[in-house]
Amino acid sequence: MFARRFLISFPIFVVVYLIQETIVSQFRVFGSGFSLFLIFALLWSALGTPELGALTGFGAGLLMDLSQSSSGPVGQWTLIMILAGFSISYLGYGDDNFRGNPLSLVVIVALAVPITRFLYLILGFMFGGELGSATHIFTSLIASGLWTVAIVPLLMPFVTRIHSGLFIDMSR
Amino acid sequence: MRNGGDNRGRLLLISLIVTSLFLITLDLRGVQVLSGLRNGTQSALSPLQSVAASVFRPVGNFFSDITHLGRTRGEIEKLQASNEKLQQALINRKNADAELAQLKSVLDLAGTAKYKVVNARVISLGSTSSFAQTISIDAGTNNGVRQNMTVITGQGLVGVVKISYPNSALVQLTTDPAFRVGARVAGSQQIGILSGQGTNKGVLQLLDNRTTLKVGDVILARGSQNNRPFVPGVPIGEVSKVDNAAGAITQTADVKFYVNFSALSVVAVVTGAPQADPRDALVPRAPVPTPVPTVTIYAKPSESPTP
Repeated sequence: MFARRFLISFPIFVVVYLIQETIVSQFRVFGSGFSLFLIFALLWSALGTPELGALTGFGAGLLMDLSQSSSGPVGQWTLIMILAGFSISYLGYGDDNFRGNPLSLVVIVALAVPITRFLYLILGFMFGGELGSATHIFTSLIASGLWTVAIVPLLMPFVTRIHSGLFIDMSR
Repeated sequence: MRNGGDNRGRLLLISLIVTSLFLITLDLRGVQVLSGLRNGTQSALSPLQSVAASVFRPVGNFFSDITHLGRTRGEIEKLQASNEKLQQALINRKNADAELAQLKSVLDLAGTAKYKVVNARVISLGSTSSFAQTISIDAGTNNGVRQNMTVITGQGLVGVVKISYPNSALVQLTTDPAFRVGARVAGSQQIGILSGQGTNKGVLQLLDNRTTLKVGDVILARGSQNNRPFVPGVPIGEVSKVDNAAGAITQTADVKFYVNFSALSVVAVVTGAPQADPRDALVPRAPVPTPVPTVTIYAKPSESPTP
């Protein structure tokens, strides 16, 4: 049952991934823009169990690794997203006050996005990548957090409805 | 899980982490299957990106213009209010004109240096989740585009082809923090290494401590062996600030790139370069001041003033 529901959610991720790669990537806005797919994946993880969060992170990370614009080796995003998905779902697991409060979800995802990107940067640095200027990194991280604050409230109604339709009894 | 009773969850987490580490190891060891997967994804996505670029690029340019025209925002908003209907029609036309102008200027530059080029449209502006600065173009191996080829516009150096797929290619921009190019100063021929910083400025480090830089010096690509990854003579930018730190071993300077990376729509990939180095032939010409005509008006009082 769990695997079947997880597989049903996969096409949803593919659609969001396609939107990210074809449409969102056309826009260059303040602070290097935002990743709709990353925000979606973390929001989805935040609504599920830690197991589901890790699995979601794995699937989402794998798709992000397959992106042509991914600069690191295949598996780098997967590793980061497994940890991010697990952590974000673990934080709110079993706490209905947390899950039921939209504001706390916005805050946790807005914090998780820059932290995830920062961890990706650090891991990339360990694999021999370049960091770039501190100002650019700082601006980009802050901007991604702000973009997340703006986007999560728009995404949340759709994500929570689809998620509860698929996993309502798994997350309780 | 939180109560510590769910060993299955821990096992799953560990399995997933091990899998991802396995994938990283395979990729770093150069296993073809993983790069093939990435190539396949890109081959499937590039037609969709081309369509999306045609539809959404005018909208993207519109937002980009608003972001970069902060000083005149009030004036723009005023004009937008009065010309709302006309503007939508004009955006498409402007987009086509801008692409035409970029294409013309890049052909002018390539013609001056006798570069053999393949023109390409920008179909994606790269990753927004990682810190790498890249673009995707709609020309690939089927068009003769290969890895480590120089990418230019009419203004100068855009970057270098990092990965080439059958119908598209990923270009690492000059602004990317990992970007390095051998550079020389036009005129004085001093050489150095220019590196991207993630912004519209790069940092040039001279190799010789006896030479000096000054603001306004034009920086050109020095060129690589067999012209790959860089053909010689491509303008990169001009020195905007010189760092004269007392303890520095060699002089460094900030270089403002000529290319406007937020408005890239048409680029050219240099597939062949001439035998002779164009030297300083591609240095942008300084603007020639246009003469301002003066009009002298003689006022003559009328002889009989009207009542």
